[in-house]
Amino acid sequence: MAGIRSYSMMPNSGYASAFLRVCLRLVWFAPLLFAPVFGAGEVRPDVFESSILPIFENNCLACHGESVPQAELDLRTAASIVKGGKSGPAVIAGSADRSLLLDKVVSGTMPPGDDSLSREQVAAIRGWIDRLAQADTQLASAGISEKDVLPIFLMRCVVCHGKRAQEGGLDLRTQAGRLRGGKSGPALVPGDPESSLLFQRIVREEMPPEHLLFKYRVRPPSTGEVETLRRWIAAGAAADPAHDPSLEADLALTDSDRQFWSFQTPERPPIPTVARSDLVRNPIDAFLLEKLEGQGLSFSPGADRPTLMRRAYLDLVGMPPTAAQVRAYLKDESPDAYERMIEDLLSSPHYGERWAQHWLDVAGYADTEGIKHADHFRPQAWRYRDYVIRSLNQDKPYDRFLMEQLAGDELVDYKKEVTPAVLESLAATGFLRLASDPTDSPSNASLAEKMDVLHDEIQVLGSSVLGLTMGCARCHDHKYDPISQKDYYRLSAIFQSAYDPYDWLDPTQRYLNVGDPEEVEETERHNTPIEKQIDDLERAWKAKTESLRNQILEARLAALPEALQQDLRTLLKTAEDERSPVQEYLQRRFRKTLKVSDQALALEDDQFKAPLDEYNKALADLKKKLRAKPAIRALFDMGGEGSPAYVLRRGNAETIGDRVYPGVPSVLRANLPEYKPDLPSERTDTTGARLALGRWLTHPKHPLTSRVLVNRVWMHHFGRGIVATPADFGRTGARPSHPELLDWLATWFVDQDWSLKSLHRLMVTSTAYRQSSRKSPVGGADPEGHLWSRMSLRRMEAEVLYDSMLQAAGRLDTDRFGPAEPVEKMDDGEVVAKGSKKGWRRAIYTEKRRLTRMTFLDLFDAPQMAPNCTERISSNVAPQALQLMNGYLTRKLSRHLAGRLVDAHPDRSEDQIRELYLRVLSREPTPGEIRMSLDSLSELAEKWVHHLENENDEAPRRNTAHWSALASVSHALLTSAEFSYID
Amino acid sequence: MQESSESQHLPRREFFSRIGDGLYATALATLLGDDLFPANPALAGNGTHDLKPRAPHYRPQAKSVIHLFMNGGPSQVDLFDPKPELARLAGSAAPRDILNKIEFADQVGGLLPSPYKFNRHGRCGMELSELLPHLGEVVDDITLVRSMYGEHFNHEPAIYLMHSGRTLPNRPSLGSWVVYGLGSETQNLPGYVVLDDPKGLPINREQNWQSAWLPPVYQGTRFRSEGPPVLNLESRRKLPGDLIEAERALLRRLDMAHRNARPREPELDARIASYELAARMQLATSDALDLSQEDEATREMYGLNDELTRSYGKRCLMARRLVERGVRFVQIFIEGQIWDAHTNLEKSLAYSCGKTDRPAAALIKDLKRRGLLEETLVVWGGEFGRMPLAQVADRGADGRDHGPDGFSIWMAGGGVKKGLTYGGTDDIGHKAVDQRVSVHDFHATLLHLLGMNYRDLVYRRHGLDERLTDQFPARVVEEILV
Repeated sequence: MAGIRSYSMMPNSGYASAFLRVCLRLVWFAPLLFAPVFGAGEVRPDVFESSILPIFENNCLACHGESVPQAELDLRTAASIVKGGKSGPAVIAGSADRSLLLDKVVSGTMPPGDDSLSREQVAAIRGWIDRLAQADTQLASAGISEKDVLPIFLMRCVVCHGKRAQEGGLDLRTQAGRLRGGKSGPALVPGDPESSLLFQRIVREEMPPEHLLFKYRVRPPSTGEVETLRRWIAAGAAADPAHDPSLEADLALTDSDRQFWSFQTPERPPIPTVARSDLVRNPIDAFLLEKLEGQGLSFSPGADRPTLMRRAYLDLVGMPPTAAQVRAYLKDESPDAYERMIEDLLSSPHYGERWAQHWLDVAGYADTEGIKHADHFRPQAWRYRDYVIRSLNQDKPYDRFLMEQLAGDELVDYKKEVTPAVLESLAATGFLRLASDPTDSPSNASLAEKMDVLHDEIQVLGSSVLGLTMGCARCHDHKYDPISQKDYYRLSAIFQSAYDPYDWLDPTQRYLNVGDPEEVEETERHNTPIEKQIDDLERAWKAKTESLRNQILEARLAALPEALQQDLRTLLKTAEDERSPVQEYLQRRFRKTLKVSDQALALEDDQFKAPLDEYNKALADLKKKLRAKPAIRALFDMGGEGSPAYVLRRGNAETIGDRVYPGVPSVLRANLPEYKPDLPSERTDTTGARLALGRWLTHPKHPLTSRVLVNRVWMHHFGRGIVATPADFGRTGARPSHPELLDWLATWFVDQDWSLKSLHRLMVTSTAYRQSSRKSPVGGADPEGHLWSRMSLRRMEAEVLYDSMLQAAGRLDTDRFGPAEPVEKMDDGEVVAKGSKKGWRRAIYTEKRRLTRMTFLDLFDAPQMAPNCTERISSNVAPQALQLMNGYLTRKLSRHLAGRLVDAHPDRSEDQIRELYLRVLSREPTPGEIRMSLDSLSELAEKWVHHLENENDEAPRRNTAHWSALASVSHALLTSAEFSYID
Repeated sequence: MQESSESQHLPRREFFSRIGDGLYATALATLLGDDLFPANPALAGNGTHDLKPRAPHYRPQAKSVIHLFMNGGPSQVDLFDPKPELARLAGSAAPRDILNKIEFADQVGGLLPSPYKFNRHGRCGMELSELLPHLGEVVDDITLVRSMYGEHFNHEPAIYLMHSGRTLPNRPSLGSWVVYGLGSETQNLPGYVVLDDPKGLPINREQNWQSAWLPPVYQGTRFRSEGPPVLNLESRRKLPGDLIEAERALLRRLDMAHRNARPREPELDARIASYELAARMQLATSDALDLSQEDEATREMYGLNDELTRSYGKRCLMARRLVERGVRFVQIFIEGQIWDAHTNLEKSLAYSCGKTDRPAAALIKDLKRRGLLEETLVVWGGEFGRMPLAQVADRGADGRDHGPDGFSIWMAGGGVKKGLTYGGTDDIGHKAVDQRVSVHDFHATLLHLLGMNYRDLVYRRHGLDERLTDQFPARVVEEILV
């Protein structure tokens, strides 16, 4: 390194040494640099037992001396120490400095806690290892098998010598590949490490090559790993026999584990009979009343019609009714008016927009990655959002909806033909592409960070669909639920054919370039002329700067030593794919010298400064005009055999444990058909692993899938789940308050062909849903309404509040689907949606940027996805008050609303007030309210007149004052508690 | 509410963790509302404010925290951690096992000795770089930790780690945890205030003070030191006072009528209370940030009369005024990444030290003379340190790349030893080796000083007890405590 660095300072000698080094690295006759220095002394058991063992006895054996030692490391005998534990050999004979054991005690990692070994003790251990002979390590080689070395290849080599890339024709994934070797001959010579090419190149530190370590975030093998490899080869490099996953040992499940309520297949219970059968509109009411009557309670009286109407609108479509809709409904006195309104709402296109938000919460939807400062935008993420909205509006059966999201790529043969149905199926797989994925740059693409992405997706799946806290089992067996660490990694192995941590696709590679032909053509039509302009611009710039560029390059070369100049000139003339290894090295080393950047031009010649800025701006402007080519941000099977999957000890990506095979949690296997990838024979490009998962999850007898979903829908309608912890149906979760009701709903839902709209209809037409939310004057036996003796008062969710304000003020832009409405940051830091002349789009169609989140939504508890949100909170804090009182949106909307009220009812204040109440609160004002509003209006108008006079404003005073006063009254109503709290 | 929860013999932390589970952050209010405790008149009305001070687990050493966050990664070997060995090894090659963490592999130079002299200061004789003369004056009040280590070499993940205990986004920040645990001593100001640099937000921006899945009341509130301090504190459209009053009166009338028609809904009381707080905040904020109330000597001490130190000095002084008024956690950020000296090491450090050294030392002196230092914990540190290697740049303007494996921070006040130098790095200042302190240890220690056990400060979510230290091992660094 020092030699290379001094190169630019001391050209001659530096160049020579650098070049020599290149040659040494590239030419294979170099002598073996690595020759283990083995101590001459013999193992003297007396030394170990007299001076080393006592140290271990006092400090280590409590954990590393039992019959089942920690990390499989037994420190009781010299032989067992040499053999090592889960992290490989603990010592390397003759070399204390390269021994893991010494590293651990010197760094203070071991023993854990506050005590560490004294300097004298460390010195004694060091001396012992240094004197240890290699002969003793041979004994330990016998136990090493292919499974011990496979992770080394996997983590350090296969990124270049594996499935997608086979540098030098070498594939290190299999024993056959290693024996066959590559261009340079067999990589492995069993029994002879020093003659095995792969070993040679590793110990010479040629592999993995230094310049690729960062690019692929590959760590060079540790000395322990090199030693393991050496011992394995020395012992004959035997390959492991093929494995039969069905023989794998399972977590010991107890009967109480299996009998836990949520792991039982739900059975349809009989519908109970109740005293007040007149209150029973459907079975929901019967189940609830049975409990209530048991406590001497009953339902509350029904809510009045305007209240019920507003509740249903906000619940099903997420916006209040218009004034006209309120009037029409209140006029309609037919007995089925409510039911017909519900049908209208369920068939409204706004239904899908409202309920998609609930699903996007559990899926963890975001339009950006969020990890890096740049907050990389996901240009095609909206297709998944639209997929969800469309699916809900179509009432797509939930089992199908899930199947598509888990395995849409395996359901269709998208490489064969692209139809709208195929596109839809592929867009669905966006579900498992929503977690923050930082790995597009090597600085955030360590193995651990790749594993994190996969982990987030498992958590999303677990909490949204399974209702299980799978995340805990990443690092250890679940403490409460019968889910082992192995279960976790089995489930994660299902996704490994798509998310392969050892053969990783970064997020920019996870697009399928398919699209609706019309859209593709339209985009091309739009882009082609712009692309041509870009091309022309670039070409003109190149021509303009060429001579200066050459001058600079010449000057740079001239400053270099003669021999090097020659080499670089030759290099520049050689086509890229014809360059020799030495030239490639030089290219890397002199990248900066050889490339004359635009910046360099401007630095060299001031005259280029302004044109460069101009050029860059013009280029950027043009590029901004380009439309993203249709593509789908999908999850897809990479085909072929994936990398093996392992249990990672303590969840640490670098500590690989037992191998695992795709599978589902053991405790859920009892009453369901086996999880088994099974594909139509003509498909060879995909493993079917996720398809099988989808089938297993949507099996009608699955104990969790339907229960979790009906509970979620119930929670949104009724304010609280039957299981109060919607993402945790395990032991730490709540027990169902009405287990029979839950099971009745779960089985009924499956029988309705998993129809969500049927489920909504059933719930919102029940007597329970139509109750008043008023608390009875005496606390009673159901103070919190958990038995549903009343409905509960709820604040609107962030998006509902936002959409409702836009709707009430008449500023809602009802454009649907497609790329999201951008957000922007105002001078004072508030982040708002940009909007247009048409107004603002619904919140679901605004950009969900993780780092610039819309202030309004943020303040009202729109979730930060981490990785998803399974339950919203509803906070009550001063910044919300500031936002509503002083925020930009509410002010603007109030003035607009007041303006329209004046337009509709010029000079009729009372009509303006009536209309205002209908639009904002979905009800007629009481006579008292009209009086109060009119009083306020004139009081405010008076003040406005004064204000306008003081300002000497040119506007007509009376009219402007009236408009402004009406805006103030509108503002009060829009920001009032009554507006944002749903009765 | 503290009294009532204890009177019910429910461990306080457990009580809170249960509340976190519910649908509403204000479930607290529901649980403690008159439905359950109708006999407790103290809880009638607005018994719902969730920034109320709460008793810690045990007697705290510090009541409040001022975190001088030095985003960018200050260089330990040039500021805090003298390494004479570097001079001897100057130019030697980088160890191969760190190469997969160095983004600019073609710019890796040899070991680079610090160009600065280190001097001993104070009675304790702490060694500091000549770049920090003002800190040198207060060394007898601080503990310098030279053995911090992190987990990631990139800013974003490392800053997340320092704030939230993991290298990932979307977890609650340190300050949020503290305010969640302790509430605030003031009801007129937010419990967790962030003073960011008017020249620009740090990396990770607002995510640095997020409450994530903790209720938003624990989120850091950004006070700008220039212009209107809080978002929407006043209307964008300037309205005369009597109009604002009339609007507010109308709204209050509507809300009271709405509430009266819905008896025993504490959430509605809470809403009314939050509107009142918003109004009080307008006055309290302007008062707290009004530096004209400070005397000239104080302004001079913080460097308010000097262009280079004015901006940071203002924020340090504001921080003192805020903790004085009962704010629990104040965090000061610094523009962009001024400690991120990839190139031009000397020029860059001269600027960043010049900007911050004097105000930070002034803060210690000022807190001390007012008797506030004993109850205020001041923390100075970044997300990582830097490599003892050179990062080679054109024209010899070398710098240093990020170094998470060993770096220094200092702490002062509330319960930490005075004049202590703790822990150490290896001979070249690359890796912490003696008395290593992880970021989780640092978090555990900070919570401990505030009277909280990191294991017991939990928030239940997805069936798990979430902690600031997540599932990582952590230890309170007892050796630095008084």
